[in-house]
Amino acid sequence: MSAYAQPAGLWRRECLVELKRSWRLPQFMVPTVVTPAAFYALFTLALARTPSLSGAAASLACYGVFAAIGPSLFGFGAGVAMEREQGLIELKRVSPMPTGAYLAGKLAAAVAATAAAVALIYALGVIAGVRLSAGQWLALAALHLLSTVPFALLGFGLGMRMGGKGAVAAANALFLGASVVGGLWAPSAILPGWMRLVGELVPSYHLGQLALGIVGADTIGSPVAHVAAIVAMTALAGWWAWSGWRRSAA
Amino acid sequence: MREDLSAAATLAAISKKLGGKPVLDGLDLAVGAGEVTALLGPNGAGKTTAVGLITGRLLPNAGEARLFGLDPRRPAARGRMGVMLQAAGLPDVLTVAELVGLHAGYYRDPRPLHETLALAGIADLGRRRCGALSGGQARRVQYALAICGRPDLLVLDEPTAAMDRDATRALWATVRDAADRGAAVLLTTHDLHEADALADRVVVLDRGRIVADGGPAAIRSLAGGSVVRCRTELPLGRLLMLPGVRRAEREGADTRIATGDAVATVRALLAVDGALADLRVADAALEDAMATLLADGRRAAA
Repeated sequence: MSAYAQPAGLWRRECLVELKRSWRLPQFMVPTVVTPAAFYALFTLALARTPSLSGAAASLACYGVFAAIGPSLFGFGAGVAMEREQGLIELKRVSPMPTGAYLAGKLAAAVAATAAAVALIYALGVIAGVRLSAGQWLALAALHLLSTVPFALLGFGLGMRMGGKGAVAAANALFLGASVVGGLWAPSAILPGWMRLVGELVPSYHLGQLALGIVGADTIGSPVAHVAAIVAMTALAGWWAWSGWRRSAA
Repeated sequence: MREDLSAAATLAAISKKLGGKPVLDGLDLAVGAGEVTALLGPNGAGKTTAVGLITGRLLPNAGEARLFGLDPRRPAARGRMGVMLQAAGLPDVLTVAELVGLHAGYYRDPRPLHETLALAGIADLGRRRCGALSGGQARRVQYALAICGRPDLLVLDEPTAAMDRDATRALWATVRDAADRGAAVLLTTHDLHEADALADRVVVLDRGRIVADGGPAAIRSLAGGSVVRCRTELPLGRLLMLPGVRRAEREGADTRIATGDAVATVRALLAVDGALADLRVADAALEDAMATLLADGRRAAA
């Protein structure tokens, strides 16, 4: 079985075109980019009764993960479902395009939106007085950008299985749910027991704990266990995404 | 079943159910290089399902689909095929050139962009966003997407639906040209004139089964090549016994006789009915041929 040699630059072109598409749909991109920063400014910078800089750094770490979930779930979940309804994917599916290139294009758009969203949050944090070392900033940025991957795969699986409206609803529910039980808005330590239990099952909790560790805030559990959980969940989400893509060919 | 190695695409003993209902029932079809094969039939005949199987969008319940001898889902097979689907949309915010350029990039030896656009008759639309195209223009963009990779097999599902007459003619010319250069073309249509104008071979499909397979002229003559109209008092049963006659029916004061041999029929008619009046002979419209074929096919299946 000889492999089909892919034309050079195929993946890069797919990513560039997908970025262009998102850029031309500001009504979709702007809310997912601005909302997390607005929440961060409102809840932790403006409304906190006794603003503490360590608290501002901790919530910056958590809101960065929150910022990655939106573009991933909406871009993939809702976006893919709507593209499927409009018949935009059908032709790609019968073309020699590798599935991975399509995923990569969508992921590039989600990562770009996430980068813009976390940059806004970082800027607000710095204005509010958050100070981190260069190493901490870099580690945090890498973690926040990588946070898109499990949620993108999860969203893609949703988008391949649900209609446009259903996928938007599901993405919304997951977006808020994963943020709350993941301890991104209020620390996991003060959540009710059952919420913490559910939180263990979503990547946002483990990503949040890793992010808290990077800024030197209090964390629960060992980083190695969190990384292992994230890898396992990402693999599961990958299978969910792949089987969703294959499934409609039946 | 003997494997046809020269065929671009084959369906062998395919049965396919959709939503529990059988859509295709033991279908055999081979699409040969250098010819235009038209899959003709009424809505619901199973044409689009057959296309879905050849392109690997659907998997058969029984039988086997092959694309250049491979599983149709393999990129190596798909890299030699260009497809125009019936229900495919275009991304509104991309320009025509961006979209066609991206799609061409999936293929190893794509046609230059300007050449693709010119062949599809949209050379002046490259900078237009897809969201701003008319229905007919969008169909031409979809045709451009089908041909941009210089495919050896061109699969066109109802290609000229929503196209005006000029665009249809232009598309027919380029499809014909592609076949003359050696490409295999599979075209579904319910427009008999399209099959007649374009196809080397017409496969008539009804309720998931092939009811006729041959050149357009053969299909026409199969079902009665001419229509004789006249005024006659002879009973229809008597008319059916005349040489060449396949069907006879009253149309107001006229009697309409479909025949495979107009000369013999007319000679016999004049001999048996001295009062015959208003005699006219015309080529059977393809609609007549189809109606006869479908009726015969359903009678045979019943």
